[in-house]
Amino acid sequence: MTDLKSRLLIAALAATTALTAAPALAEGTLTVAQRQDPANWDPVDTFLVAWGSVASNIYDGLVRRDENLDLQPGLAESWEVLDEGMRIRFQLREGVQFHNGEPFNAEAVKYTFDRLLGEVGGAGPQQSNYTTIDRVEVVDATTVDFHMAQPDPVILTKLSGYGAMIVPPQYIEENGQEHFDMNPVGTGPFKFVSYEQGARIELKANADYFEGAPELDGLVFRFIREDATRLAELQSGGVDLVSDVAFSAVPTIEAADNAGIVAVAGPSIYSLALRTKDAVTEDVRVRRALNMAIDKQALIDAFLAGRGSPIASLQGELSFGHDPELEGYPFDPQQAMALLEEAGVAPGTEMTIDYRAGNSTFNEVAQALTGFFAAVGLNVGLNPIEDGVFLNEIVPQGRTNEMYQFSWGGWTFDFDNTAYLTYHEGEKWNPYGTSDEMNALLDEQRQSPDQKLREEILQKVAQLAHEEAYHIPLYNEETVYAVADRVEGFVPAPDKRLRLTDVSVAE
Amino acid sequence: MPILSFILKRVIQAGFVLVAVTLFVSFAIRLTGDPAVMMLRESANVTPEDLARIREGLGLNRPFLVQYGDFIGGLLTGELGNSFFRGAIAPLISGALGATLLLALTSLAVSLLISVPLGIYAATHRGSFGDQLVRVLSLAGLSFPNFWLGIMLVLIFSVTLRWLPPSGFIGPQSLIMPAVTIGVILTSTNLRIVRTTMLDVLSSQFIMVARAKGLSQTAVIYKHALRNSSIALVTYLGLQFGSLMGGLVVVELVFNWPGMGTLAIEAIAQRDYPILQTVISILAVLIVAVNLLVDLTYMLLDPRIRLE
Repeated sequence: MTDLKSRLLIAALAATTALTAAPALAEGTLTVAQRQDPANWDPVDTFLVAWGSVASNIYDGLVRRDENLDLQPGLAESWEVLDEGMRIRFQLREGVQFHNGEPFNAEAVKYTFDRLLGEVGGAGPQQSNYTTIDRVEVVDATTVDFHMAQPDPVILTKLSGYGAMIVPPQYIEENGQEHFDMNPVGTGPFKFVSYEQGARIELKANADYFEGAPELDGLVFRFIREDATRLAELQSGGVDLVSDVAFSAVPTIEAADNAGIVAVAGPSIYSLALRTKDAVTEDVRVRRALNMAIDKQALIDAFLAGRGSPIASLQGELSFGHDPELEGYPFDPQQAMALLEEAGVAPGTEMTIDYRAGNSTFNEVAQALTGFFAAVGLNVGLNPIEDGVFLNEIVPQGRTNEMYQFSWGGWTFDFDNTAYLTYHEGEKWNPYGTSDEMNALLDEQRQSPDQKLREEILQKVAQLAHEEAYHIPLYNEETVYAVADRVEGFVPAPDKRLRLTDVSVAE
Repeated sequence: MPILSFILKRVIQAGFVLVAVTLFVSFAIRLTGDPAVMMLRESANVTPEDLARIREGLGLNRPFLVQYGDFIGGLLTGELGNSFFRGAIAPLISGALGATLLLALTSLAVSLLISVPLGIYAATHRGSFGDQLVRVLSLAGLSFPNFWLGIMLVLIFSVTLRWLPPSGFIGPQSLIMPAVTIGVILTSTNLRIVRTTMLDVLSSQFIMVARAKGLSQTAVIYKHALRNSSIALVTYLGLQFGSLMGGLVVVELVFNWPGMGTLAIEAIAQRDYPILQTVISILAVLIVAVNLLVDLTYMLLDPRIRLE
């Protein structure tokens, strides 16, 4: 925001304060509204973005990703990959304390990973991300060695992930697991104050933070499930920042006089997966034709308020493995009809799209897709399914119709995360199989410590998937935040973690 | 002791209802999805061993009847145990139940305060302009979907006027809009019941007798007619309680009210069996208890039921 604009705004605010009885927001405190309450603040027990946006302010990992997704030192000052990727040595930051006064040191790192990889971590969703780590060895008070079970090219990125947040050993041992679930303690820029399940969590600034105290005095996250209610809170001055903004609400917020939109490229991609076995989509010509029937940009303009980009593979531009040379199938209904005819698919052939019913934007997109398919002579129906049933009973069991929704937000921004899951044999998002060539490529890049080579292989994977048209890649969504005008310095990161150290609020 | 044996009989019935409901819910929810899959739904590299490990951690690898027995045992002893995702259940439930009951009772009070006087007015001024107006308004109230009404109230009183907080529970002022939203919907039907039964009672012979004795209009209406017509209203309220709980789910969502509905929706989405089983069992107990209460109220209102 320009100086002049903000001064005008402050003047306007001062003029209207006397006239309105807006709910007062505390000075120096930022209030965020998000959809979900993660309900448990232990890093090993969560996979929710809703956790990351709050807890990234409470905890630190050994490394951290910045707004450009580059790795930065966190609790480790430096690191060195040794023994061909089988050992990584971290030099830890000195003089750091947890919020309860407990010192951070090599023992705390070992404790964190013993816990993650042991019984406690075993009952939660994070352990599976870190099984390539064999053990952590304390070399001295400020040095640790990670001994790997196998080389893992993505491990450094993963160490910035939720499960690898460093936890305080003494605090957990003294107070017990259940207490820690509800009363988190880390080394991060904000300290935990209070938590009310389903309603809010309050944090206050950690004046002793090792990178300097944050600008804000306090931070409140409120959990409000309903989209319209979150926006009403913003419009009525009850919150400063809203995440999980529905695209349909973007024009309303852009027109509002006290708030605006801040958007950033995100990890989430949307596509339709195609059934490659025992269905009319078994024929690659049909799958290519379906790809050509869709005008992706039209979908983005109509349903995403323009906040997205078309994709040619199951990744956005920020993803490691993205190939700018790879072009998606063109929108060409004539060619699509010709291909369908060649494949012997009669006009009026019936197909069905299975999709997850909970997402209002994708509901609209799915309806529009049937229109595009109708334009090439296909009679496509819709089959919305509840999330739990879709994820348990339909996809992994291979019970889908010809087309089914695949959307994914690989937080590592490494194509391996998505590609392995969708193309490798035996994976839950690959119920119908791909090819031996594909399996070999995916395995090869996992073994390789050479990032250049990995990138080439991943691009080859995307190319192969494109030729076989296993999916109809649709778009990469931007992540949209609605932000009150009094908020300054908010720069969201693409991985949806809200680290609000540099944000302030105008008084 | 007819009342005691009556209550005893109903309590035994309630026990059967509870067993049937819990058994069905526990069984059915296990068919619709696996919490381990839900827990790992956003994770890559998930192996069957990962899933098995989580199932074991959650105790889901035990036979169904053992899990069910544990749950019922916990329910009976008050040891509600832990949720799969969100820590101890007991404090969650007590908070949510309190919030839901507060909202339900306030809504009911709002609705009775409006519907009884207006219903009486309409019945005693049958065919007048006032009567017509009341009937039109009640029809309009019936036609509003409650979530829509809730959103409209938020737009008017929070976004535009900024008088009331749009969501959450920060004090008594937070109760106003949700209670009015549900109250208006309840009022519409209650109003019609009060009006119709009042009309019915007012034309019956004992009212004519009361009038013939020279009782004042007030005594006839409030002492004789209202008491008799309230039997229908009480019956209706009892029956309505179940659907009131259903309606609360939607309104709780709109106002982010920290009640049982919000808790249940979250639990369904995550396949959090322990929370869902407990919430539904408690709602079942509540509904059975309210119906028992309705039966007992009859006895107070109508001595003939007491004698039978």
